Amino acid sequence: MKRILFVGAALFFLMTGCAAQEKQTGGQMEGMAEEHGHGDAKVTKHFDDSLTKLTENSLYSLELVVPDKYLKMGVNTVEIIVHHATGGDVAQAEVTVTPWMPSMGHGVMQKPVITERGGGLYSAGNVVLSMTGHWQMKVKVDKDGKADTAVFDFPEVKAMGHEHAMMHAPPPKDLDYSTMKMTANDAFNVMYKSVGGQIRINRIHSWELTIKNAAGQPVNDAKITVVGDMPEHGHGLPTQPEVSKLGTGGLYRVDGMKFTMPGWWIITVSVMANGVHDSVSFNLNIL
Amino acid sequence: MRNHVIRTTQSAIAASLLLIIAGVMIPASAWSLDQHTWTDGQKAILRSLWIGSLGPLPVDPSNRYSDNPKAAALGRKLFFEDHFSGNMKVSCATCHREDYSFTDNLPLSHGMDTTPRRSMPLIGVAYNSWFFWDGRTDSLWSQALGPIENKLEHGISRTMSAYIISKYYREEYESLFGPIPEITEEKWPQEARPAQDDPNALKAWVLMTPVQREAVNRIYVNMGKAIAAFVRTIMPQPSPFDRYVEKILSGENITKRMALTNDEIAGLRLFIGKAKCTNCHNGPMFTNSDFHNLGLPQKGKGGPDKGRSAAITQVLSNEFNCLSQYSDAQANECSELRFIDTSGKKYEGAFKTPTLRNVTERPPYMHAGQFTTVHEVLEFYRSQAQNPELGHGDLTDQELGQIEAFLHALSSPISSLQAEKK
Repeated sequence: MKRILFVGAALFFLMTGCAAQEKQTGGQMEGMAEEHGHGDAKVTKHFDDSLTKLTENSLYSLELVVPDKYLKMGVNTVEIIVHHATGGDVAQAEVTVTPWMPSMGHGVMQKPVITERGGGLYSAGNVVLSMTGHWQMKVKVDKDGKADTAVFDFPEVKAMGHEHAMMHAPPPKDLDYSTMKMTANDAFNVMYKSVGGQIRINRIHSWELTIKNAAGQPVNDAKITVVGDMPEHGHGLPTQPEVSKLGTGGLYRVDGMKFTMPGWWIITVSVMANGVHDSVSFNLNIL
Repeated sequence: MRNHVIRTTQSAIAASLLLIIAGVMIPASAWSLDQHTWTDGQKAILRSLWIGSLGPLPVDPSNRYSDNPKAAALGRKLFFEDHFSGNMKVSCATCHREDYSFTDNLPLSHGMDTTPRRSMPLIGVAYNSWFFWDGRTDSLWSQALGPIENKLEHGISRTMSAYIISKYYREEYESLFGPIPEITEEKWPQEARPAQDDPNALKAWVLMTPVQREAVNRIYVNMGKAIAAFVRTIMPQPSPFDRYVEKILSGENITKRMALTNDEIAGLRLFIGKAKCTNCHNGPMFTNSDFHNLGLPQKGKGGPDKGRSAAITQVLSNEFNCLSQYSDAQANECSELRFIDTSGKKYEGAFKTPTLRNVTERPPYMHAGQFTTVHEVLEFYRSQAQNPELGHGDLTDQELGQIEAFLHALSSPISSLQAEKK
């Protein structure tokens, strides 16, 4: 009997303990939103595991919440909380998010989509990182003409580990499947062609790229990288393609292309020529 | 076989019952039209999976004997040769049984001892880009050489192999590859090999002269090339699925004999649609020959099996790879090796997608025999719905059963080069 009483008491403590904790956590969140609403002088983080940064001209304090704390190659969604530098949430601001690869000198083709959620919270979806490596994310906040930016650094964006591959971006409707496009900043015109006609799944094959400048002149001596990504699965090509120059005429050959999954692929071609870096992404539907 | 008959009977009963029901509900013609109507997009996928799309055996530029019938005939003998083992009982056919779709029925294969993985099926294996579960070799001939010197598998050395060839297969070997240098057991140590796991064998190997080592390597390599020439001939035949697709593509009427059962057709629709099985099991061999981590439970002795990530450096440094002096290929013909994805992290614990042809004929399943039935495999995939790599849709029990039924329709007899009749 004594023992039963003891166990009962222990259980009671455990249960009340948990409940109290839960309440506390919930309360913390609500409490903080209120705190900012009243314009406290001190900036309090909303989330424990977020990244924070003061904007360049100290106008705002930004809080960035990234799932699992790191960005991954593929499609990401991040949450941004905008605080006044002196405290208090910033609602109804114009927020833009620009992912950038400093070493490659290019950004992304797909524009991140910003949705305001209220209480200074903005979510940035469709942050498509086309390759692994060093990325930066420039966040610009413009509230009533007072604009300021902060740059968050992600030194090592990796391909998603399969066990972490939780993101799943279905192909948007009306995807542009054209094989000739201008690069993001209109510096180059890039056309691709699969050598030997239709691309066949599971076969190593080659592409030919034709690169021209905005004036339509062939671009020779460009440094080119080709990266593949499958947004629905968060992984890239099963190969590491190589690019070589094919004489003049802005013609290049990409060897080692291979697709081992049917569906939506994004191939990003980065071009660096005459001191200009720009990139373009092609959509492909592999059968 | 008995199971198969029972299954067919059950399916037939089920099909007739459905026919009766369908006959009451709607006109039979409308029913059959619906059942066998595929959109152009679906037909394109069916065609891509059809055995008719397989094409001729891919040329292996690293093995100039790969399509040589005499080499294949010698290779067949070597494949079944028990002498190539430490206990004179293990041949390639021990773990690749001709009567079991050229694999075995064990979760972990057993040669001289128990290995850490299951034996791979050899049907249509020549269509792969990489070999072994982790792709640690890039040709069928270099694959064939791995198990010979593995202590857990054949457990002998290349010097012993060369000796066996010289003693039992000299005439056939020499007619293909030229004269064998004089080999005597006294002159060449029996257990010499460039081994990392056996200092004595390694010591014996380095004490041989470079000329001797080269002579042994040549014989060993040619032996692998002959075995590969035989293994290339192990091919699937048209399955009920293939016969069905042929009828669909030719626009012919589906006669009762040719049609798959209702469940099999429903399973096929799921396979190429909602269940997304063709994400990895695509093409006429039902595999992309690529590597994926499914998050399977670890089995066998030792630490976690790193799979493909550990094999990347192994294949690049393999003394018998496509770029090696023993390969018959030009450097530019070694595409897979040239463009190999070296990001090890991406392939941590990843294993090769196996073919699904004859899959229901050869339990158990996965790289370490983690599951005993196809049903367990499908249940596992369903449990991984959150993983986009494995997300197979929200499948009901009935749908799972239909996919399983469809997998049965991928079975066929296997053809391979047969021994010459005397």
